[in-house]
Amino acid sequence: MRKISTFVHCEYHREDGRTLLRTLVARAGLLAVLLAAASVCPAQVKDFTARLETKRGVEVTKIAVDDFTVKSGSFILSSDSTTVVRVADIVRADLDFSPFYDVVLPDTFYMRHMEMSAMTLLGWSQLGAEYVARGEAEFSGAELTVKYKLFYSKSGIEFARGSFKSPSSNFRRLAHKIANEIIYYLTGEQGIFDTRICFVSDRTGNKELYLCDYDGANIYQLTGNKSINVSPSFSPEDRNILFTSYMRGDPQIYQYDVVSGATELLAAYPGVNSTGRVSPDDKLIVCSLSRDGDSELYLLDRSGKIKTRLTYSPAIESSPCWSPTGSEIAFTSDRIGNPQLYIMDKDGINVRRLTFLGNYNDSPDWSPKGDKIVFVSRVNGKFNICTIDVTGENFRVLTELGNNENPRWSPDGNHVVFSSNRSGTKEVYIMDRFGNEERRLTTGGGNTNPAWSGHGQ
Amino acid sequence: MKKFLLIIGLIAVMVMIYGCHKNTPVPVEQPTPVDTTPAPPPPAPPPPPQEPAAPEVKEADFMIVYFDFDKSNVRTDQRVALDKNAGIMKNFPNINIEVEGHCDERGTVEYNIALGDRRAQSVKKYLIDLGISADRIKTISYGKERPAVPGTGEDVWAQNRRAAFRIK
Repeated sequence: MRKISTFVHCEYHREDGRTLLRTLVARAGLLAVLLAAASVCPAQVKDFTARLETKRGVEVTKIAVDDFTVKSGSFILSSDSTTVVRVADIVRADLDFSPFYDVVLPDTFYMRHMEMSAMTLLGWSQLGAEYVARGEAEFSGAELTVKYKLFYSKSGIEFARGSFKSPSSNFRRLAHKIANEIIYYLTGEQGIFDTRICFVSDRTGNKELYLCDYDGANIYQLTGNKSINVSPSFSPEDRNILFTSYMRGDPQIYQYDVVSGATELLAAYPGVNSTGRVSPDDKLIVCSLSRDGDSELYLLDRSGKIKTRLTYSPAIESSPCWSPTGSEIAFTSDRIGNPQLYIMDKDGINVRRLTFLGNYNDSPDWSPKGDKIVFVSRVNGKFNICTIDVTGENFRVLTELGNNENPRWSPDGNHVVFSSNRSGTKEVYIMDRFGNEERRLTTGGGNTNPAWSGHGQ
Repeated sequence: MKKFLLIIGLIAVMVMIYGCHKNTPVPVEQPTPVDTTPAPPPPAPPPPPQEPAAPEVKEADFMIVYFDFDKSNVRTDQRVALDKNAGIMKNFPNINIEVEGHCDERGTVEYNIALGDRRAQSVKKYLIDLGISADRIKTISYGKERPAVPGTGEDVWAQNRRAAFRIK
């Protein structure tokens, strides 16, 4: 059974200027050492400097993942040994994506200097890694079992262990589950490495929905109706994906059943039906309908029947999302002449304006932690991903390059998925909630409108 | 142009000859072709004497209406286009239209679907004010999903912020 270890990692600390400076000085010292070793391991130095830039502003704990071993005596194919290497690599990439952990890589310069053939726990400790994960793989037929252990590097004490079994072809998911459990042991929070992202791609010539793992692997096409499909969102427990589709001509709200693969029409009122999002208790849908002449927000029951009209304004009301408790709704309105974010109670009263900076704020998504809203803001003519506290304080711009759109939180509230045209084509990216650790998930262009699943079943 | 007029003239002559000899049809001598351009076939049966064939109206006859960024009001310089479109609808009372509202690529999917809807609605309202019956006008918003011109930049955006007319 899972239990939180006694080594539960404390809540992170934001660095103030002084500690940041100290860290940078400390890192610069290490950088100098590594630069001296540049001729030995240039890749290492490049990796390190990249991290120096990307993890700025957040204090991180270092963790190492040893190369996984293969259980002695088990017969493996060369493809199996590749799998073992890849499992460890995926675990490293997952842990490194956490905003609060940095993965330390084996340092060949250090190992040569210490005359080591493999990294020891003490060696990892000297490279700064507080925790070390070790794993052993065993193949039996088409099945792969990986047992892992977590050590505290300084004392050498093992403080957690676990084991996962799956068909060896499904090794990516197995690796994600290991990383999830490691993060759970370290932080007490469920990791997001076994989650999925739904997005829109026009790779077939039509805008269809696709599903992929959080890291962009295992892309799978969900719809094939050859029309326009946009604005996907997951229902609680990830049972359904709601989306807006033009498959019958007008924009209407549908839901895709993840288990059966069936698609069901939910809202087909006259005019626009768009942006359906299911409440956290799975009982209501908030959406925008233009049946009364202009775009207003409505609550529907789970079958799509109108329960309440929430807004009454001649302006545009769009892009609704639920607070994690389901008691409030954030949305966009251009009632002052340009789009701004507002929050109201779920019965439509107590409306208050959230954003006052800039003249284009839209696409809100409420953090599962409840404290922040991520949204798009036009700053100097460029669209950027920003966060703001639900109190209206701490407006923070997370992106710098290109135009960025459609931010959606990860289920742990530590990461954001969004789309950007920074590379020249529209692609889906993920980053942590400080704007660090940006990773591109898609290639080939025309990839937009991502939504992050929950923790799933 | 001269060739075209010549061909028209020849056809007119042929029709007249054909009409004159309706009761005792005689083979009409084929005129010598003026050039390699194939002459249009002579209209064998005379046009029915009752109402003249209803002139066709094409979607391309309707003018596209353009909008400002994040705006859905009909610009004064776009009224001419809408007045012309209303004129077509009055001349062809049997056709119904669908007004498509479109946006440029900037801004979010959801907001642009709402904005495109407002653009289509404001065109519909303008047409109704000009006396066109509301039930002849359907609206649909494509948001920013169907740009007329791919690419980026103000020239492209200006062409994509539009309301287009479709005959239903």
